[in-house]
Amino acid sequence: MLSIRPSSYIYSSRRYLSTPSTHTISPNHSIYLSRSTNPYFNLTFEDWLFRHSPTEKPLLLIYRDEPCVVIGRNQNPWKEINFLALRRAGNPFIRRRSGGGTVYHDLGNTNFSIHLPRTSFDRHATAQIVLRAVRSLGIDAHINERNDICIGKDKMSTIFLPLMACCFYVSGSAYKIVNNRAYHHGTMLISTRLDALGDLLRSNKESMITKGVASVRSPVCNLQQFSPTISHEAFSDAVVRAFQEEYNIDQEPYIAQEDEGATSIEYIREGMAELPSWDWAYGQTPEFTYGIKKSFGWGDMTVEIKSKHGIILSCSFSHDGAGSSSVDREILELSKALEGKRYGFVDNAAIDARAARGRDGDIWEWLKTAMES
Amino acid sequence: MLLARHLRLLVGRPALRSHFHTTVPAWASRKVVQKFKLADIGEGITECEVIKWSVKPQGSIQAFDPLCEVQSDKASVEITSPFDGIVKELLVQEGEVAKVGEGLCLIEVDEDTAENSADLASAEPPKEQEAESYEEPVGVRRQHPLDPNYTPDAASTASSNVLATPSVRYFSRQMGVDLGKLAPGSGKGGRIEKKDVEAYLARGTVGGEARVEDGKDVVVELGRTRYGMWKAMVKSLEIPHFGYSTTLDLTAVHALIPSLNTHIPPHLLPPSSQPAGPPVNPSALYPAPTPEPVPSPSQYTRLTYLPILLKTLSKAMHQWPLFRSSITPSPSASVDSSQSKAKPTLTIRPHADISIALSTPTGLYTPTLQHVDRSSIYALSSQLKHLAHLGRQIPCALTPNEMPKRGGTLTVSNIGAIGAGEFASPVLVPGGGVAIVAIGRAKWVWDVDSGDGKGQRRLKVGVSWSADHRVVEGAELAAFVECWRAYVEAPERLIAEGV
Repeated sequence: MLSIRPSSYIYSSRRYLSTPSTHTISPNHSIYLSRSTNPYFNLTFEDWLFRHSPTEKPLLLIYRDEPCVVIGRNQNPWKEINFLALRRAGNPFIRRRSGGGTVYHDLGNTNFSIHLPRTSFDRHATAQIVLRAVRSLGIDAHINERNDICIGKDKMSTIFLPLMACCFYVSGSAYKIVNNRAYHHGTMLISTRLDALGDLLRSNKESMITKGVASVRSPVCNLQQFSPTISHEAFSDAVVRAFQEEYNIDQEPYIAQEDEGATSIEYIREGMAELPSWDWAYGQTPEFTYGIKKSFGWGDMTVEIKSKHGIILSCSFSHDGAGSSSVDREILELSKALEGKRYGFVDNAAIDARAARGRDGDIWEWLKTAMES
Repeated sequence: MLLARHLRLLVGRPALRSHFHTTVPAWASRKVVQKFKLADIGEGITECEVIKWSVKPQGSIQAFDPLCEVQSDKASVEITSPFDGIVKELLVQEGEVAKVGEGLCLIEVDEDTAENSADLASAEPPKEQEAESYEEPVGVRRQHPLDPNYTPDAASTASSNVLATPSVRYFSRQMGVDLGKLAPGSGKGGRIEKKDVEAYLARGTVGGEARVEDGKDVVVELGRTRYGMWKAMVKSLEIPHFGYSTTLDLTAVHALIPSLNTHIPPHLLPPSSQPAGPPVNPSALYPAPTPEPVPSPSQYTRLTYLPILLKTLSKAMHQWPLFRSSITPSPSASVDSSQSKAKPTLTIRPHADISIALSTPTGLYTPTLQHVDRSSIYALSSQLKHLAHLGRQIPCALTPNEMPKRGGTLTVSNIGAIGAGEFASPVLVPGGGVAIVAIGRAKWVWDVDSGDGKGQRRLKVGVSWSADHRVVEGAELAAFVECWRAYVEAPERLIAEGV
């Protein structure tokens, strides 16, 4: 059970560092624990630490987010996310700055981020640190060739989950590398709502063909399924300890809050504003094409939409209907009207009012729903 | 493995040739277009997709400005420009894939960068400055971590935290000034400018500070390959080594070489050395079999001792299954591999795979020659030349094709090519087979035992073995070496056995 504690209290025999909120936060500590659950803050804070901490020092950051979906730097949100489910749940999605695939965050999922000098960065070594932490909690996990942490090859697990055919993943990772620094960050599923995860990340657009990185879908499970006492705090502690041992650090963890001390920093403010902006969230989408079909009363219609950087490049219709010239003319106008608009953000006002009526009305409704799903 | 910095694969007469790369001499007022290649980012990444360019052609760019962002599986990498200059052409577009070593873009750089490289070519005397020449094969820029010519070892004095353009770094190095002392400079973002260095020099003589390196300790990080060596050597501590050394008599082999050289198959010879065709055409009736000519880096004009030693070694390996075996790797690559309970087994291969220790500008590698028993001495010589060529490239052009996971069962280290060493204590690493041999430099000695007791001048070479005592007995190794000697000292046997 976690109760809100002022950060200067002693917690499980560990003292934490913090600054009075009037001073700006320093990037020179070795271990940070973020008490904020705002995903925009946490991702920006991570990026700020990445760019401003001393290049030679290893650094660890641990944080949790309110429910949201986080996609990789070069991914296509429409391909990865079921937007109908996302809107129903009322959660946002965020594009992060590191590569890799799509993950679901909520308070049952703990994120870790290990920053190292680029030349001594080794994916396997950093994955080992987290693995050691998990194992120290009494869970028999291991690492696969992609450096993901999973459970499920030995007898113990088959007792709990007899239907398990193979590995279940408890963690996903991504990396970012710049001139002289690199980080490995990842998720750890402790008590996440797996049903929500499944819903939001279920791809419902097989006919969307996209450049960029596709997620590798894997079966997941929570650490709590194997050890009911595991919590965010226990896992954080274990990771901090493993990190301190690996790099011989005896500094105490520093508690970071989303307060004046942090938001007074311009880089952080601007980063938090950039993440939800259309330019970053949607405008970074690589090229994709989406081909869909529908049968109307008067014939079958096929559409192919091409988009790049979130803008519709072209929209080509074809149908096998009885060839009414008005339909042909209207779809020609519709496709012209759509060119240059933002994919998924075209409202009725942007399309010529005439096109919204009549036969075209059906077509446009159908297209609009498809783009927004 | 032995530490050896320079690329040497020729046994026998290793005159210390300097591998000296010179650039096209630059005229004082010309601009030069440099190709910026996708450097080895590390992590075993061989290709990346370009996600985004931060510059457009004809845009100007400064060193350390963001250039582009690339993505490989789960890693997103930001690349900054190594030069000041104007971007001339983007060679890989957004959404396309660039391979490591391929050109990313062309940047037109200022004249003084090119001029400096021409100065270096004339200033340094070739022989002892060989080490220097490897640090900057093309021009004298360095320090940009993703510059394809960057060698982390070379960045020992100027710390990577100090910002300065390559031309300023060169200038400061010429003047013997440590940039660390000048940080931060007066330029953009705290960059050190040339005038900062000059100002420092003007002060320096008054202050009486030493001009050349001022004797402070410097901390250097291990580059990726050297760190890989570190890790491999730590693992090698698990292997109980024992050593055994002897000398082999190469006189008979030496006598063969001139004759073998005149008969190098035409497809392995460079075009300039091709012999004139026979006066009567053997292909008049029907095309005679002509193998495909090999690419020019694999062509050669002289044989050395190494391919002959390898071939004879493979003959001995044929008779000794123990030396064609390797420890079967344990199935799971998990954390506690040392705790696997099953008894170890040896996997014996039908053919002789021999790994060669290759020291290159980018580090120490061990590519493998597969099925040496099936290759002729001529073919082996060509393969060795090819490996040397690949290793010499920066970034290293050796691929998993040349360095398969499964490695050889024996490793050969031709340390005699570097210096006049006779014996050594090589180190085995896991995956390097059951034994390793270091071959010293051949030298002519007076052997009192030969020539019917009157003594004779013989060519001898020292060979030092280290073997894994978990699987090889001392007596077995000694007997195996004697078997090898019986081939080396009587190479004519190869004729009767059908090479």
